[in-house]
Amino acid sequence: MNDMTRPDATDPPYLYPGYRSTALRAPKQALVQLPAGTLDIPFARVGAAFVGKDDNDLTVHGKHGAPLGERMILTGRLLDESGRPIRQSLVEIWQANASGRYHHVGDQHDAPLDPHFHGLGRTMTDDEGRYRFMTVKPGSYPWPNHANAWRPQHIHFSLLGNAPVQRLVTQMYFPGDPLLALDPIYQSIPEGARERLICRLDLDAGVENFALGYHFDIVLAGAKSTPLGI
Amino acid sequence: MPGRSPSQTVGPYYAIALPWKDGGRVTGCSGERVVLEGHILDGAGQPVPDALVETWQAPDRGAAPSKDGKPHGFGRVSADASGLFRIETAMPAGPVPYLDVTILARGLLRHLHTRVYFADEARVRGDAAVAPLASSPRLATLIARKAAAGEYRWDVRLQGEGETVFFAA
Repeated sequence: MNDMTRPDATDPPYLYPGYRSTALRAPKQALVQLPAGTLDIPFARVGAAFVGKDDNDLTVHGKHGAPLGERMILTGRLLDESGRPIRQSLVEIWQANASGRYHHVGDQHDAPLDPHFHGLGRTMTDDEGRYRFMTVKPGSYPWPNHANAWRPQHIHFSLLGNAPVQRLVTQMYFPGDPLLALDPIYQSIPEGARERLICRLDLDAGVENFALGYHFDIVLAGAKSTPLGI
Repeated sequence: MPGRSPSQTVGPYYAIALPWKDGGRVTGCSGERVVLEGHILDGAGQPVPDALVETWQAPDRGAAPSKDGKPHGFGRVSADASGLFRIETAMPAGPVPYLDVTILARGLLRHLHTRVYFADEARVRGDAAVAPLASSPRLATLIARKAAAGEYRWDVRLQGEGETVFFAA
């Protein structure tokens, strides 16, 4: 542990040798403290018009058909550390397709692209902090970090929250994935906190004979700030 | 009390989702036009071509939400292949104007938070928020250089010589 580690042992350190890309990108100097509350200020507010009607259904973004893969419905709540819902807040996700390939020019993994799956979604939380996406389960894929390195199945999340102190970008994983024990990105999170990024199977959130359900709550840092203009 | 969700890297493929149309053009702020350009550089001095830069400043009081729902006061833009980013905005308010800046990239397991000031060094040294840096040469890493009228340059060095000051956030 070094002085970059956050005091509550929740976040990974910046420098984590098992994840090679940290070597030249992790700052070496200690983070400087701003006065308490400096980043607990009103933050960017996204208007409802920012999100289109089908932006939370990643299975209908192809022009001519549905994507391949295991259909899943992902629901959960966006909360702060005292359990209060983060209302009317933007949730952005992106992911690989069912074969483990991103719709991104830089992804050269030899797995098929799916013309019916782009892998990005957006939604706003409701007044209880709830969100919902329809998608397909992402595949695992190899990456060049070490010999035979494969990422566990995951969905990327980006959350703005109500204050800059709440900004969070993270990844959601699936229960029982044997690659979690071998993945340096997941393992970089302190023990006791990493399990928070694993969703749980929630059959009731799914649709019988149609889609599996999963549940994933996201907890942002506490903040006194309430949304600008609300 | 639920435990806070840990951070993970934005990874190499965020560009399919996070960069917004016109994300580098900040709306809802009035005042002198400011164009901020700079490179994100790694510990070997090489440009970081897969970094995402976000800026935040309080928008004008009472600014109605933009028609398309894009937030006011907020900039979000990808660095290009040469590691260059560009934000167009208005001079932030306040006696020692600055933007809050967030850097995300592959290889960063958590975002980095910093500031870019648009003021001369003497005034920035007087800003109580950065008092721990008041006598540090590193303070200069937070100050944009005026390149022309309304145009500023500011490079971010993630590591090593001239490493930018990052704040606990």
